[in-house]
Amino acid sequence: MYKAVVIGGSAGSFQVITKILSSLPKNFPLPVLLCLHRLKHVRSGFVEALSIKSTIPIVEPYDKETIKPGKGYLAPSNYHMYVELNKRIALSTEEPVNHSRPSIDLTFETAAQAYRDKLIGIILSGANRDGAYGLKKLKHAGGLAIVQDPNECQVKTMTEASLKLTTVDHIFTTEQIISFLLKLK
Amino acid sequence: MILSDQEVQFFVNTIKNSSGYDFSEYSEKSLKRRLQKILIDNNTDLLGIINKVKTNKVFLEKTVKDITVNTTELFRDPQIWQTLKYRILPKFSENRNINIWHAGCSTGQEVYSMMILLNELGLYDKAKVFASDLNTDALDAAKKGNYKYRFNIGYLDNFDKVIKENPFNYEEYNDVPYSKYFKIDKVTDSIQMNDFLRQKPIFRQHDLVHGGDLYFAKFDLILCRNVIIYFKYSLQNKVFKLFHEHLYTNGYLVLGMHETMLGEITSRFDKKGQAYRKK
Repeated sequence: MYKAVVIGGSAGSFQVITKILSSLPKNFPLPVLLCLHRLKHVRSGFVEALSIKSTIPIVEPYDKETIKPGKGYLAPSNYHMYVELNKRIALSTEEPVNHSRPSIDLTFETAAQAYRDKLIGIILSGANRDGAYGLKKLKHAGGLAIVQDPNECQVKTMTEASLKLTTVDHIFTTEQIISFLLKLK
Repeated sequence: MILSDQEVQFFVNTIKNSSGYDFSEYSEKSLKRRLQKILIDNNTDLLGIINKVKTNKVFLEKTVKDITVNTTELFRDPQIWQTLKYRILPKFSENRNINIWHAGCSTGQEVYSMMILLNELGLYDKAKVFASDLNTDALDAAKKGNYKYRFNIGYLDNFDKVIKENPFNYEEYNDVPYSKYFKIDKVTDSIQMNDFLRQKPIFRQHDLVHGGDLYFAKFDLILCRNVIIYFKYSLQNKVFKLFHEHLYTNGYLVLGMHETMLGEITSRFDKKGQAYRKK
């Protein structure tokens, strides 16, 4: 069975992500890794805003924090968030990748290396191409690739870039993403 | 270009055998990424790099510098600087001297932040400021104290938050002009730190991997921010022990916003936020 969910989003994804997080059961069986772009100057308040809506606890993790099921890990602003092979978080302040720090590509790629075919990756609405390469890596490692239906996205650039690069497993609306996650054990 | 763990290991061993640098206790993911970037930037493969590192000292030094990450900002994370301003530095106001070490200071923005804050608190003259980094290019930049203006425009917001505003009293506003500390030139795109600040810190090359006594001094305050995220747990522990040895009792260690101390060593400190006080 699956061991983790990784979600990437940018412009237009905040409402989608809060809807997903508010629909999960309190005892959701997997960790949820969140890599979401935000304005550089909005450094705090984001995790609180997500936490208010979410049924599972959401943290901006510390470097080397152990990833646990039923918890959400939000990439801290201005850091890249990696998953080490021992299922711990690693943070980095290396240069932005494609103008992004955190970079969705990097979170997806390293999560794919750690969880291989036990990983579900979801790309949501966004105005750039970040995440497309990471989702490709995830799919290549045997993971399950899901993209939010571009017709539903506020900004379709990110989902369309992902679909162009990878043959994904599912193109889902927000509601379909939620009902899929609810079926996981 | 995808490198295997064995290939990274091969590179680490080569560096170790050809120089005094040891990356064997660096975090795997970032180390691998840095190495991949070096291969791309040099348009070569691993064997190409290995051969060059073995035969060319200058190239070896450059490669070591390229491995290190040098991101830093003036007053990065204003809330930490507010903690320093209101909670930590005032504790040393009765001291005859205040010894401060910026371990892994990179290009020096936080060293200048500290000196500006010390000056505003009237503690500048009694402070001794030491700053070290592995990367001598970064240290040279730190000594110059010259930064790009456009790229770092957010610095000024941070400066305002820490130096001008008081988060506990919104009516208080200290209208400190930037020119007191640095000169902004938009045409040449530069922020130049004033000379009196540049003359104060003692910059030294130092590798935290080797520890050792760098300054033959103890410190009231050590700042080491966004450095240990590149180290494995084992090396982090060694570095924390080094800091513990070099702190006075009741001295403080301040880490990055998302760094934390783990393991037995935590019992030797009291933690409050990102500040650890030596018991």
